[in-house]
Amino acid sequence: MIKEMFQKQMVELKRLWANKRQFTFQVLNLAMIVFSALMIWKGLMYLTKSESPVVVVLSGSMEPAFQRGDILFLDNSVEKLGVGDVVVFKIKDREIPIVHRILKVHSDGGLDMNLLTKGDNNRVDDRGLYAPGQLWLQREDVMGKAIGTLRYVGMVTIALNDYPVLKYVLVGMMALFVLTSKEG
Amino acid sequence: MHTVWVRLNAVVFFGLSVLLSLSCLAALSKIGHASKHQPGELGITFILCVVIFLILLVVYSLDVYKLELNTLKSLKSHGGVDRALLSFDILADMEPAFHWNIKQLFVYVVASYETPMHLENKVVLWDKIIQASDANKMIDEENVFVKYALVDQGGDSSLLGRNVELRLMWDHMPITGLLHMDGQSPESVSSFTLPTTYDARP
Repeated sequence: MIKEMFQKQMVELKRLWANKRQFTFQVLNLAMIVFSALMIWKGLMYLTKSESPVVVVLSGSMEPAFQRGDILFLDNSVEKLGVGDVVVFKIKDREIPIVHRILKVHSDGGLDMNLLTKGDNNRVDDRGLYAPGQLWLQREDVMGKAIGTLRYVGMVTIALNDYPVLKYVLVGMMALFVLTSKEG
Repeated sequence: MHTVWVRLNAVVFFGLSVLLSLSCLAALSKIGHASKHQPGELGITFILCVVIFLILLVVYSLDVYKLELNTLKSLKSHGGVDRALLSFDILADMEPAFHWNIKQLFVYVVASYETPMHLENKVVLWDKIIQASDANKMIDEENVFVKYALVDQGGDSSLLGRNVELRLMWDHMPITGLLHMDGQSPESVSSFTLPTTYDARP
C-alpha cells in the first residue's frame, strides 16, 4: 500500500513538473509554511529575550514535577532571578541545557549575582556539574526562567533526536504532501 | 476528502488543536485562585482559631501556620566559610493552595540576611514536595533539622550577628499551564539573630 501511495505521489510530481506555474505555486505554498514557522520561533525569541524560548526536559532530575518529554516555556526578560525559580542554564562550553531550581542567591540587589542550583530529584546541589573550579552560576549562564509547561509534547523531539533518520523521513513526507496536495 | 491520508491528516490536526485549546483553558481556569486561597496566617487570634478548628470540622479549614527557629545548633567558621546549623518548627496547611490543575506544590523555607559583601542573600534551608495525590497536605513538624546548612562564603565573620529572616514559599507546579510562585506574607515572617561569636572550640 505504501508503494502504491508513493507511486501515486511520483505521478503527481511528474504532472506538476510539466505544469510550471502550478509547481511554482506549490513551492511558494511550502515556503510560506516554513517561513511562518520560522517567524513564530524568532518572534518568541524576541519576546522572551531567550536564545531558546521552548525547551524539552531530557532528564528525570526534576521529577515528579517535570518528566522527560515535557516542554517548558522560558522567559529570559526577567532580570532578577529569585530563590526557588526553576531555571534553564548552560554551563560554559557545554552544549546541553539543564533545568533545575535555584537553591541559593547571593547578590548586590541588582544583576550581579551568584547562583547555586539543584534538581528537585537530586540529593546534592549542582556544584559537581559546574566547570572545574566554578562555584557559582552567573546571570549570563541562565537561558531563562520556566514560566509554563505542557506535558508529553516534547516526546516528538526526543524521538527525533534518538533516531535522526526520522527527521529526514518526516520532513520529506511533509514536503511531498504539501507539494502535491490540491486545494478544493 | 477522498483519501485515507487526507482524512487522517484532518482528524489528527483537529485533535491536536482541540488538545491545545483545552490545555490553554485549563491553565486559564485557575488564574485568580492564589489570591483567594492562601495558607493561613499566625496572628493574635491563633489560640482561638486552633480551638475552633479542633471543635468544628469545617470545609473552609482555618489554616494557621508558623515558621520559626527552634534551636541554633552551631555556628562555626571553616577556612573563611561561616556555617550555621539550626532547627526550626513549622506548621502550615497547604491544602487551600491545591486545585484540580495542580500536580504538586514545592514548599521551601528561605533564610534571608544581609552581609557587607552581598546586599541580598537568600538561601533555601529545607524543602518538601507535596503531591496532589498525598492524603496529608499539612506540614506539621517540630525541631526539623535543616537539609542545607546556612553557609556564607563571604569571608571571616560574615554570619556573626546577622539578623536572619525565615520565610515559607511554595511553587505551584501545574499539570499543564503556567508555573506560579507564592509565599508567606512579609509581615508574618519570623526572624532571629545569630550570635556575635563562634562556638567555643573544644
